[in-house]
Order: sequence, then structure tokens, then C-alpha cells
Amino acid sequence: MSVVKDNATAACGIVPASVQGEIERFLYLEARLLDEGDYDSWLVLLAPDIHYWMPIIENRMRGDPIGTYGPDRVAYFDDTLDDIKRRVARFQSRTAWAEDPATRHIHVISNIEVEAGEKPDEVVAHSIFINYRNRGERDEDILYGRRRDLIRRRSGSWLLARRRILIAQNVLLAKNINTFL
Amino acid sequence: MTAVTFLTEQATTFLCDADEVAEAGVKCVRLPNRHPIAVFRIRGQFYATDDRCTHAAASLSQGDIDGDVVTCPVHSGAFHIPTGKALCFPVTEDLKTYRVVVKEGKVFAVFADRAVSDGANS
Amino acid sequence: MKALEQAKHRANGGRSQAAALYDDKNCSVDRRMFWDEEIYQEELDRIFHRCWLFVAHESQIQEPGQFVSTYMGEDNVLVVRQSDRSIRVLVNSCTHRGNRICHAELGTARNFVCNYHGWSFGLDGRLLGMHESEAFENTPNFEFKDFGLSTAARVSTYKGLVFATFDPSAPSLEEYLGDYTWYLDILLDNDDGGTEFLPGTIKSVFRCNWKLPSENSTGDALHAGWTHDSGVRAMLGTGVAPGFGTDSYQININGHGWQCNFDYPLGNAASFGDKRILSYLKERRDVVRRRLGALRVNMLAAVSSAGIFPNFSFLPGQSTFRVWHPRGVDEVEMHSWVLVNKNAPPEVKDAYRKGVMMTFSPSGVFEMDDGENFEFSTRTVRGAEGRRRPIYYGLSRGSKIKHNELPGNVYRGQINDANQRAYFRRWADFMSAETWSEVPDR
Repeated sequence: MSVVKDNATAACGIVPASVQGEIERFLYLEARLLDEGDYDSWLVLLAPDIHYWMPIIENRMRGDPIGTYGPDRVAYFDDTLDDIKRRVARFQSRTAWAEDPATRHIHVISNIEVEAGEKPDEVVAHSIFINYRNRGERDEDILYGRRRDLIRRRSGSWLLARRRILIAQNVLLAKNINTFL
Repeated sequence: MTAVTFLTEQATTFLCDADEVAEAGVKCVRLPNRHPIAVFRIRGQFYATDDRCTHAAASLSQGDIDGDVVTCPVHSGAFHIPTGKALCFPVTEDLKTYRVVVKEGKVFAVFADRAVSDGANS
Repeated sequence: MKALEQAKHRANGGRSQAAALYDDKNCSVDRRMFWDEEIYQEELDRIFHRCWLFVAHESQIQEPGQFVSTYMGEDNVLVVRQSDRSIRVLVNSCTHRGNRICHAELGTARNFVCNYHGWSFGLDGRLLGMHESEAFENTPNFEFKDFGLSTAARVSTYKGLVFATFDPSAPSLEEYLGDYTWYLDILLDNDDGGTEFLPGTIKSVFRCNWKLPSENSTGDALHAGWTHDSGVRAMLGTGVAPGFGTDSYQININGHGWQCNFDYPLGNAASFGDKRILSYLKERRDVVRRRLGALRVNMLAAVSSAGIFPNFSFLPGQSTFRVWHPRGVDEVEMHSWVLVNKNAPPEVKDAYRKGVMMTFSPSGVFEMDDGENFEFSTRTVRGAEGRRRPIYYGLSRGSKIKHNELPGNVYRGQINDANQRAYFRRWADFMSAETWSEVPDR
């Protein structure tokens, strides 16, 4: 995979076990809020300058220097906080017919590695997600991918400032992405 | 008479005019009773090799030249032009190369062996 | 024709049974066309193996050696820019044992080599050689020239959009599109520099029959105000105005459709909620009016939708283009792109990229509500009772009018099923015609 300029800063070294623990709890909390559809509480976890990015993944030969993803291409998410809020507005809308009855979401988060960021109040976190969703009677989709986050400490709390999601699919094997990953 | 003069007068075969081969280019030369020869010009120097790829039926003069490497157009095997060395899959057998002499704007090859024709189309 | 098809052909006096599934008199569709596997196989032959199908935008393959992989029906094909700058469409199946050759969806190549026996094909599909080629060269009657890749019979480009057909007897692309090109010019020819696709193809899977999203884009203005209420509210903070457009029309030609209103000329583009796009369109208004006329300048970004038969859909304004590739009777793989003017400023292009992402992509606040409608409209044919009941396409019958400026069949009011009727009429045409001469001009 070619090196791609992305939105997380370079990682700079290990963090104390206590910080690893705090970030794990942060990511698990985030996942639970999404499972519960508690978007208002979830939004509070986002930094005002968040960049939330999930590029498409192209099938290119290994030797192709262009690489399988990049910031100039169409994307599933390439969001600022305002964009995210619009999506949440739909999720919370009474007339979002495809969300009523609710989809059952499970976000499994695993393989969490936390590294020091370039700045003293920032860390870089790698993790894997498995989003199992079940809708109606027997409609199921499972999405898998990796995340690379920049998480920042502000006033004693952690905030998600940058997220890059690389889904392990080329064709999205689902009709939509009706959650955050 | 020097050895080189003896060689030039006795054992060289005319391939083509020098200006028939563009810089960083190649020309396929068909000779009677011999496999086709590829004549390369790289940074002003001339090289001669067999035109047929050592892997399968393919004409290297139809391939791509990048620096001093030629890539076969059929399976993308690569050879180092000056030495004929096979560089990557699927080519494993080195390419035969021939010493070249340029005299008065004409390119000659030195064929140490007897002329051979393989009878197959390249 | 296959043996089964031949038998049916004889039994039905020369017309496919399938064609009868659209009842023009009652404006109804027999739902068998959404579950019958034999009909689906007939569609692959009679529609996808004959019609002009969209395969690429020229901008995706600008230089010799560049290619993109796509589908014509269920055939995977490579759309390849040749060294003479023409475009060839190669069937991505080795002529030796049938294996898929190229597994990349796009890139730059000098040849295509099959992983199985090393059969190598040129950009033009010619067989160049193979592993152990001497054995083949020594095989009696083996001729390289007999083993070039299958190709589309015809490839033709209309203002950047590349189409192909497997049928050598098909009329020209211009004839296939007919006067629909007048409408295509609105999007493809409103600027000197022409258009391009932004980089990247979004692909997703809907578990629905391919015809449902196709006919929806061709003429379903009705669903927008109901299905997409949440999407409009999310993007703009308000719902869709009831009554929609009073000065609105549906137009169809040869089964291709365009429906729009003139009440809100920037309506579709406005759904992005992005001032940069509205400014760009407003700034260019005079130039576009001089180029395309007073009517078409108001169709550039209006509340509208469109489609080219059989499965190529697009939304003026949002500028999203998509193909619904059939994957069996109850599944589609959607491929979608964003079209922009080449000369648009970078920030405007990026605004389109993000706007389409927010609205008509798998994460989009509009598209998310469409998927379930299409899927469950397909799924309910599984039941023995449900599948017996035809579905209704009679909205606004009798609304055909004469219009002095709009070419094609014109109908008053975009809240209408006229374009869907034309779509299924065209479907029936192809399902019953044995040759192109039997396909009527509509």
C-alpha cells in the first residue's frame, strides 16, 4: 500500500497504560452510544474541527503507484462537524422511513493500539471495527474495517479530532451505511 | 593489421544505418539465415541482441525501453540491454547479445557463431 | 436463440411471453417480471446483449493504455484507450479457458495477461502470446488470430459518455438516443470545456430487481416528496413543498426519460445546501442561456430526474450518474459517479463531490431511504398471492400534450407515470422484437 497523506498526524511512541485504558474506554463508549442510537451524546465526543473520512477503496494492482485510496476521490464520508450534524438530523427525523423500525446495530471495536501524538495533548489510536447490523426480520449486513484516529484531550475529556476509516471492501456489500463507523 | 581491423573486415555483419535508430529507441533487423536482431540506441551507444524474448514468442523491438532496460510486450519480462541479463519474472534465461561496431554512420554486429535461422516467425 | 426461447417463440406466434407482462391498456405491470428467472435470462439476451449500454466517461481513460472495468449486463468488460486514441471494449474472459484476465478495476496497462496459462492480450484484445508458446506454435491449425478477446461490436461516444453494444446490427448511438440528445446537451454541453467524472466509482449492492430503480429515476417525481422528506429536512431544514411544481413536465423518447419542473430552476442543486454551487450556476446563467436557450438553462439543475434505457440513471442538479448492473433477478450492483464541467473551479468540483456524498451515496441522506423501497418492492413477489397482483402505473393518464419547444413525447405535470409507462413499453418492445427493425421508433 502506498503512503497516503491522511488526516491523522504521525505517531510518536508508547503511552502510559492509564492512557491506553482511557482511550479504550473512550472508544467503547463511542461504540455503545452508536449502538443505542444516542447521537446527541455521541456528537459531544467530537472535536469542533473534526475531519471524519472514509474513502472508497479501489481494486488496483499492487504495482500501481496511485494507491487504492486518496483524498481527491469520491468518498463515503469526508465530513466536517456540520456535515455530521446533517446526517444526525436525518437519523433523528420522524420521516426517515428506512430507520423506522430501528436498525439493530452492534459496533465491535478491537485491536486498540494507542500511541503518543505529535502534540502532548494528543494520541493516535488504531482500532478495528466490525459493524453488525440487523434490520426488520432477517436483513443482515456486516462491515469490517480499520480506523486511525487522532484523539485530543480538552478540559479533562477526550475528543475525536480526526478519523480515517478504511473499509475492507471494494463494492460496499450493503445498500447503505446507516450509522457511523 | 590490428586484431580489431581484422575483426571489422572479416567477421562483421551490417545491421543498419545509425540514424535509423532513434535515441532510446530500437529497430528490428531481419537478416538472411539468422534470427531477427534488435538494435538499441541508449545514450548514444548502440547494442544488439536477439529480438526474440527468451521466454516465449515475442518481439522485444515491440517492447518498452526505460533507461537501459527493455520490457517484453507479451508478459512484461525485462532484460538489461547491454548485458542481456534477465531481470524479472517470467524471464529466466539471459538474452543473447552481440558486440557492436559503428563505423562511418553504419552499425555492424560481430557474430562469433555460424549464421542460424530458426525458421519461425517472430 | 436458446432452445427454450425458441419453443416459446413458436408457441407465442413469434413474440416472447415476457412482453405481455406490461399491459399498456391498463397501465399495469405483471410482477412476474421481477421474479421469473427465465425472463431475467431473456432480458440478458434481448436487452443487455442488444441495447447501447453506458460503459465509461472519456475522462476516465484519457491516455493510451488506461482502462476501467465495468459490466454490460453480467459480462465484465474492460474499456480501454487504444494507442490511436480510439476506445475498445474487451470482454474480460480469456479465450483459452474463460478465466477472468484483469482483476483490477482501473489502471494503466500495456497488456492483459491471464493468471492461469499466461495468455497475453494486447490493449486491442489481440492474442500476443502465452506461456510455453512453442507448444502452441507447433499445434496444427492453431492460429493466434482466432483467439483474440471478444469485444463489444460497436463503441460510440456522445459528448464524453461512452456507450457500447454487443449487437452489430444495432442502429447508431445517435439513432438510439434520438432527440434525447437535446436533453443530454443540457448537462454535457453547457460549457466549452465539456465534462468529466470526478475520480472514483462508488459501488454498492441493492437486493432489488434492476428495473425498479431504473424506472424510478426515469419518471418518479411523486416519491421525492414522501420518501425523501427526511433528506430534504436534514440538508435544508425544511420539507419538500407540497404540490411540487405546477409548471412541470415528463418527456420521453424511445424509452429514455426526463422529468422536471420549471418552478424551482435550481431545486436539485439547492439540495446540497452549498452556496458555492448556487453561485457557480447563477454566474453562468447568461452564458448557458446563450448557448442552450431560455428553456434549457432552467433545466440544468431543476427538481428533476432522468434515465437512458435500460439502466443508466442520472439527476440533473445533483449531477450524480449511476448504472444499475443486473446481478440476477433480485439484485443490482450500483456503480455511481459525479459529473462536473472540466472548467469548473476546483472548489466547485469539490462542492459537487461532497454534495453528492451527502445526498446520493450509500451514506447519503436521500439515497438511504430509496434502497428499502426498491428492496421490499422486489421481495414481496415471493408470495404466491402478492405476486399475482399487478402494480399500477396509471398516474396522470391522458396528460400528453403538444409542446412547441420540448422534443419528444411531452406530458403535462411531473407527478405522472408517463415516463414509467414509456419505460415498460420499451422493455416490451425489446422483449418481443426479434430484430431491430421490429423495435418501433417512439
